Formats: sequence, C-alpha cells, structure tokens
Amino acid sequence: MDQPTEQPSKGHTRTRSAVKATRPRSSTKGPLDVDDVPLTSPGPLSPPHTQRMTLQPQPRSPGPASPLPRSAAQSPVPRRPAPRPKDFSFLLRPEIYHPLTPLAIPTAFRSDPSKQPTPETPIPDLLARGQFRAAAIAATTALTGPDAPAPSDHARIFSLLYTRLACLTLIDGTAIAAQEVKTLEDLNSVVYVDETTGEHLVPWELRVLNVRLQALGFGDPRRAVMSYYDLAREARARLAAVMARHDNSARELWKDRLADVGIRVAGALVEMDDLTGAAHHLGSLPEREGDGGKLAMAKALLWLHLGDVGAARRCVKGEGVEETAEKVVQALCDMADGEYQTALDRWGELKEESDDEMIVVNMAVCLLYVGRMQEGKSLLEELVACGRSSHTLLFNLTTMYELCTEKARSLKIKLSERVAAMNESVNGWEKTNADFKL
Amino acid sequence: MSHQRYPSHDAVKEPHSVSLKVLRLSRPSLVTQFPLQPPLSDPSSRQQPLAPASLAYSPHDGSDVDTNPAPFVLSPIVNLPPSFGSAYVGETFSCTLCASHDAVNLLAPGQDESALPEVARSIRDVRIKAEMKTPGVGAPVTPLDLGPGSDKGIDLAAGETLQKVVDFDLKEEGNHVLAVTVSYYEATDVSGRTRTFRKLYQFICKASLIVRTKAGPLSVGGQGQRRWVLEAQLENCGEDAMRLEKVVMDLELGLVYSDCNWEASGTQRPLLHPGEAEQVCFVVEEAVGDGGSVDERASEEDGRVVFGVLGIGWRGEMGNRGFLSTGRLGTRHVEPKKVAA
Repeated sequence: MDQPTEQPSKGHTRTRSAVKATRPRSSTKGPLDVDDVPLTSPGPLSPPHTQRMTLQPQPRSPGPASPLPRSAAQSPVPRRPAPRPKDFSFLLRPEIYHPLTPLAIPTAFRSDPSKQPTPETPIPDLLARGQFRAAAIAATTALTGPDAPAPSDHARIFSLLYTRLACLTLIDGTAIAAQEVKTLEDLNSVVYVDETTGEHLVPWELRVLNVRLQALGFGDPRRAVMSYYDLAREARARLAAVMARHDNSARELWKDRLADVGIRVAGALVEMDDLTGAAHHLGSLPEREGDGGKLAMAKALLWLHLGDVGAARRCVKGEGVEETAEKVVQALCDMADGEYQTALDRWGELKEESDDEMIVVNMAVCLLYVGRMQEGKSLLEELVACGRSSHTLLFNLTTMYELCTEKARSLKIKLSERVAAMNESVNGWEKTNADFKL
Repeated sequence: MSHQRYPSHDAVKEPHSVSLKVLRLSRPSLVTQFPLQPPLSDPSSRQQPLAPASLAYSPHDGSDVDTNPAPFVLSPIVNLPPSFGSAYVGETFSCTLCASHDAVNLLAPGQDESALPEVARSIRDVRIKAEMKTPGVGAPVTPLDLGPGSDKGIDLAAGETLQKVVDFDLKEEGNHVLAVTVSYYEATDVSGRTRTFRKLYQFICKASLIVRTKAGPLSVGGQGQRRWVLEAQLENCGEDAMRLEKVVMDLELGLVYSDCNWEASGTQRPLLHPGEAEQVCFVVEEAVGDGGSVDERASEEDGRVVFGVLGIGWRGEMGNRGFLSTGRLGTRHVEPKKVAA
C-alpha cells in the first residue's frame, strides 16, 4: 500500500452496531469524500493509483494497534512477479443458490409444451424469450453443474452470476437474490482486483446490481448510498483517465455510467424513504444534453410522490423538456389535484399522439375515478390484445375485474391464459400468480 | 375495511343476481421500477439500453419519445390503490361502489347451469344508495351524494356494472360505517319482484395532525391596538409524510393577523414525517380603521379575547389533500409587562 495508514483525521471513528457486524468489512469512504479524486485529475491512471482509490481499506479504528486482518493478509505487494490465479470457487458451491419452484406460476404458463424450455436451451435463448425463471435456473446449473467454469474463469463466473441475480429480480425473486448476493461479500476487496493491471474483475453491471441487493440482504439501506458513491468515484476517475487519453468512445461509456449511478443514488434515497434527501440530490445533478428532459421527469415524479404538485409542475416548464413529457406530468398533477376529468382529457389527447402503454393505462385509471370503469376496462383489455403485459397493466385490469363481479377468479384465469398465449419476448413472458392476484 | 352483509330485507332466500363491490379511491400511486442492464450483453462503448423487462412498462417501438425516466426508481405509470389503507381526519374519503349483474351468481354452488329455470332474467332499475354513520353519539346518519349522473335506476345486462363514486369529508376520529343499499327489479317472463340488499363497511378514522396552541400578549401597537402572538405546534401523528400547504386564520370581526411562517419568509413548505412537528406563529391585532384608530375593541367572552379558528391544509403522497380547522382559539387578555426604560 502506498498510502500510509496514519490519517485517522479522515472520517470519523465508528462504533459498529450489532447489525453491521454481520456485514463484511468494507473499504467504503463516506460520500463527503467524493471530491478526493477531482474530475480533472491529470494524467492516465496508473495501476497503483487505481488500487489506492478502490482498494485502500479505511482504518475503522484509530491507531495501528488494530490492523485489519484481511488487508494484512492480502495486501498486494505492488508488482508481484507472478500473481497466483484467482480462486472464485466459493461462488460455485450449489448450497448458495436457492431452488426456484414453479408453484407461483399460473397453470396457463405451464401447459403449452412449445413454450416450456428444456434443460438444453441455451441461456441467451431463454433471455431473448423472456424465460427469466428458466434462465436463472440455467445460470445456477451452469455455475454448479458438471460443466462449471474453472474457479479462475472470472469472466464466465461473473457473467453467469449476473444473469442469475438479474433474472431473479425480474421474476419477483429480489428477496432470494438479496440472500444469494451476500456470498460476494465486499466487492471492494482485493480478491476482486487483478493484481497486475489493477482492473476490477467484476463487470460494472454486477457491481451496480450488487449495491442494491446487498443493501437489502444485509438490511442496511444507507449503505447503498455510500456504495453508489464509491462507484461514482471510480467512474469519475476512469472518465478523467480516458479523457486524458482522448478515448472518445470510452468517455461516453463512463459518462453514461456516472450519470446512471447518480440517478441510482436518488433511487436508494427514495427506497429508504428519505424523499427530501432524494429531491435535494436530484436537484444537484447536472442536466445532460439531449436527455429529452428525463431528469426533469424524474424530479417531477419525486415531487408528486412527495405531494408537492406545484413543484412538480415547475420541473417541466423549462427548456429542453419534451412536449409529451410535460403533458404527462401535467396530467399526473391533475390527478394529484383530484381533477380526474381534466386529467382524463389530457390522457385522451396524449393517446391520439402516441401508443405509449403508460398513457393508456393512466387513462383507464382516470376513467375509473370518474365513474366510467367499463370504458377503462375495455381500454386495458385492448392493450392486452395488442400484446402488452406489464405488471401494472395486469394489476389494474385484475383490480377492475374484482370490482365487476363476485366471481373475478374465472376472469383472472382467462386473462392469464391470454397472456400465456402471447409470443415470448425479451419483455418477459412468464408471469406469476401475484400478477393476476390469483 | 371490514364488511358484512346485512340480513336481506326480502324473504326470498335466493342468491342475488346483483353483486356489490367497493374500492376506496385514494390517490393512485406511481409504480416503482428497478432498471438493470440486460444480462450477457456485449461490452461496448456505450451503455446498453436497460433491460425492457426491468421497466415499469414496455418501451414502445418506433417512437422517438421515451417518457420513462429510467434508471430512476419512480415511473409515470400509476397503480390503482392496492388496499384500503388508513383513513385520517381532514381527508376526503372517496370510494367507488359497483353494482354488477353477476350472471354466474344465479348458480348455486354445485348447481349445473342446465338445472336453472329460464335463465332469461332481466335486471332492471338498479339503484345504489349510500349513507355514512359517524362516531358521534346520536349523530345522524348522513346520506351521501352519488356521482356521476342522476340517481335514476338503470337496467343492467348480464356482466354490466353500475358504478358510482361517493365523497365524504372525514371530520371525526373513530368508527365510521358506510352503509350501501342496492335495489333492483328482477323480471322473468312470467313474473317480477323488487329485491334489496344492504352491505355495511366499517372503518376507523384516525387523527392525522395534533395541534397545540398557545397565545400570549404583545406590546400595544402604534395606534393603540392590542396585539397578541399565537403559536401553534403541528404534529404529524399519522403514518405517512405530509407536506404542509397553508396555515390560515379565520378571525373574528375587528381582528387582523400577519403570518410569520413559510409564506412570509418565502421558504419551502415544511415536510412532516410521522412524529415530526412544525411550529407556526401568527401576530393577531385589532384592526386599525381609516381614521388611524381602533374602530372596535375585539370582542371578549368572559374576559377572554376570541381570535377565531386556525385552518391547516396539507398534501400527502401523490397530492392527497387534507384540511382541518381548530376550535375557536383565544386568550385571556393580560396587559404585557411594561419594560422599564
């Protein structure tokens, strides 16, 4: 380590609570340290430099009397002549992965033999067909079966692990994913870094997904904010490095990633119900050129969620906001004001201009509020007939079924049959009982 | 909301051909989403588009406008209220009542469709009536207005629904009962009869805001008008955050007030999380007429100056409105201590 450890002035001493004790020790810095690496840092990043940023374990307790065991044992000696191959066999143990049963799947999705994947179906096919449960199972089989990757084959292991975890979140299995992700422990550990190049071995998308899942798994939502800041710091350093190299394509990639993580911080704050914090954070993010007012939309939705309709309306008044986005927010604001008829008229106008699923669903909801549920129900059924099947669409339609009859169950089962008859697509094919309130 | 079917009014013990279902219409909620990168995507120079299955609604093909602010967690598509939730004093209780011609209802359990006599029963003149019983002792039952449209009975073909919406301002804590009566005329080829049933929906209305007030004298103003300061603590005792929108005083004749709160200072409206309190303050004084003197002394009741009432308006999640006003506030007038020069 090229950084001396005698700087206890940085960051405060922490008393670790009982809950946190179950969490792996992490080298995260606080969000306030984000300016440590200036965006304009000159020169490309040399490998030891990268290591210092991402790997240096922060001293949690002052004084050298309590060295961190892991850093003492595995602290990389810079320029070790021949690094040992990495061993990720701890991710190949079958006991980590939970079995996924088809019990929560409506029968309609299990009856058509042509749509039942076989164990031989390749994972990319499953993903393209929206068979995410099958893909999650296939990823586990690939990780733990006879053809499991070598413990050092980090690219394949992490690709399969990401497939597994991402698919779990798509099939209402986020709780399971949050348990399974714990095996990764601290992704900032040196275990995950190539000792010669200083590159992080874990793909970026897995590191991003890991933040939210670990926060859920360890019951420590605040951690997510800090971990995103960690990623943001790294993205900024990378961005500075590629800009110095005039590598334009890599620059766009890191810019995208930095912006993405910035928005995810706000999401983490919303998830922990710190809505004011999220609003402040979104307010601090720079508008990106050509984003069509996405940030303005995000801010407006947050204000609506908070109940400040005036602030929401102001968000979309500015330049650079797409006209459609502005109309959408205005219609949502009318609904928040309880002016459902006005909102309904706006959704009706928008529906003429666009075939956006959201516009039709929101219009149908408005119809129910003004006492015209029958029309709303027909609108939603038309959407299903057009091949749409988002969770929201199905939820609202089954709610209307429940209002129409004492015997909604048969209607719901018929709906599940119609959805199961749809073509498989990357939008997701298989649904759960919960989607139909069965 | 617990509900029970009231014993049927009519003597016929046959299942009803019309069913009644209700849904409380709180504000719809924005759907959350957790967008992610598609698995197994090739590393490339640009960030890949997010996996469509991780978005709250499918992105539409071929259009240039994307309304989804992904990767943000909130999306503009809305869900109907999933459950009854909590009802709070100060809110408007909205509810939709749906009476449907439930053709399948004619079948008793285990009964075959062919076992029915002529299925051709027509349902005519369906009407819904609703009333609210409030917790006050001996409080009258309030008949509710049903919208939209007139309360004329309508005919329902099988599978059709008569939908109504009721609104009721919640003003009291405690047990409320929404009583809904459905009546219709059931006609077969040879005969017909009027049938009625009633369902009761009971729910508890909780306090949303605790208001504590304190009034004290201020020094007499320049024109000899008496002045007071009124402070109030507003505590959110509900379960959801609320954004205070306005605090206003409705004063007795001859009094005016100035607001010393966020409107006066131009700061953001306070957000109250559950259990949090906000202190507000007003200066109340006797009105000074055109002549530059106090026209009329503030009215006093038993030596007590009565100011008027304090009204508090707020917005909850998705802009759900709340408003409540206090009882009549006032203070025993005491001359402020003279400060020695």
